[in-house]
Amino acid sequence: MKYALYLGCAIPIKYPGFEAATRQVCERLGIELVDMAFSCCPPPTSMKLVHYDSWLALAARNICLAEEAGHDLLTLCSGCVNTLKEANQVLKQSESKRRKVNKALEEHNHSFQGTVEVTHILDVLYQDVVVERLIKEKVRDIPIRVGCHYGCHYFRPPKVMYPEELSDSESYVPVKMDHLLSIIGVEPTEFSRKFLCCGSPLGANVDQDAGYAITRQKLSYIQERNIQALSVICPSCFEQFDLGQIVLSRKTKDGEKIPTFFLTQLVGLALGLSVREVGLDVHRVKAKKLLDSINII
Amino acid sequence: MQEERGIMTVFKIWKHFKREELYECYQCARCTGSCPAMEVAPAFGPRETILKCLGLGYDQLVEDEKLWLCCTCNVCEDRCPQKIPISDLLVALRNSAALRGNIPGRLSIAIELLAKTGRSMIVHQLDEMRSHHGLAPLPPVPVDEIRQILKKTGLDAVIEF
Repeated sequence: MKYALYLGCAIPIKYPGFEAATRQVCERLGIELVDMAFSCCPPPTSMKLVHYDSWLALAARNICLAEEAGHDLLTLCSGCVNTLKEANQVLKQSESKRRKVNKALEEHNHSFQGTVEVTHILDVLYQDVVVERLIKEKVRDIPIRVGCHYGCHYFRPPKVMYPEELSDSESYVPVKMDHLLSIIGVEPTEFSRKFLCCGSPLGANVDQDAGYAITRQKLSYIQERNIQALSVICPSCFEQFDLGQIVLSRKTKDGEKIPTFFLTQLVGLALGLSVREVGLDVHRVKAKKLLDSINII
Repeated sequence: MQEERGIMTVFKIWKHFKREELYECYQCARCTGSCPAMEVAPAFGPRETILKCLGLGYDQLVEDEKLWLCCTCNVCEDRCPQKIPISDLLVALRNSAALRGNIPGRLSIAIELLAKTGRSMIVHQLDEMRSHHGLAPLPPVPVDEIRQILKKTGLDAVIEF
């Protein structure tokens, strides 16, 4: 099993701990990763809104690099997977858009062919053969109550992100993170508004306070269910909850904060990696107390 | 796709989004009822956006900075009983707004950084930070190639870089 690792920007630059955890987890589970000179995806929350054609061309270039190497693209971020999956689908389906994009790429010797797929680390880990290996390699359980936050762009719009798995109402409700975490002894816990926005894009583009108002609301539903930690698969969602709780507590003097994990950090801990190895030391809301209580150091 | 008329560049929304798609809307407001941005900010909301596009045209919308109060979460489209591709409409409207100079300051700074560096983020002492986690330096992005692709596809009509 071999993928072109598409890191994006936020993870390798802001949260390299997620990258370190992911690389170690993939190695342990038999997933080979290849690095390439990718650029920004670019985000569905910024470039796409400002200039669709530039967004599509830059996304196409990233897909082309993977095509040229002959590997499917593995992303670690809800935004990246959204952009690359949609661009891949659009360019496979529309000849006119493909022609236009290839014209912009030709002087750099790239040409979109439509020969690879785009996937996300959660979907890769959820494959039967990987899950079997995880069960075999697991050295400890992580018995905590975790709320899974998927991030909007990971699964919406469903017709683009999961066209093969649509419900009768043409929708898609993600469950893979909950299922995967239950394999490593986590107690996945439901909460109200689980599938709604974390607040990040609104804050990043226009109004920081409005973005955090959404986060605060979401956190209140999470606290209601006595959830001990959050698991995310997107660096923007992570920042919104991790840094967000620090910012919000300055204003409201809220008591208890909930640590946030990137999915592969939790999987890494279950595989026996240390707190340092999965990069938890740089989180703003510390998980130490929680992990001490279940003897993980 | 864009026509130069003096200094004004005209972006034809209905060339990028089929107007007929909106005719199925019966203004039930299920989209607006689930919009997270509307709960915390004075956003237009999807229902009103569609109504304005159907009625008076979109000029009023694309000139208003409230157009940008959106999470791009796509819940509106997901919950629409008529399955109107609302998120595509919102992209077309904002592309048009950006071309007319209506673009939030934070967003235009982010795009400029992306166009100049090929990445949407920058930090000091990146190599040290990565090596703290046992990671090799990040492979460099071919910045000139990225800039040329962005220029060729017309981004410089919206943002100078």
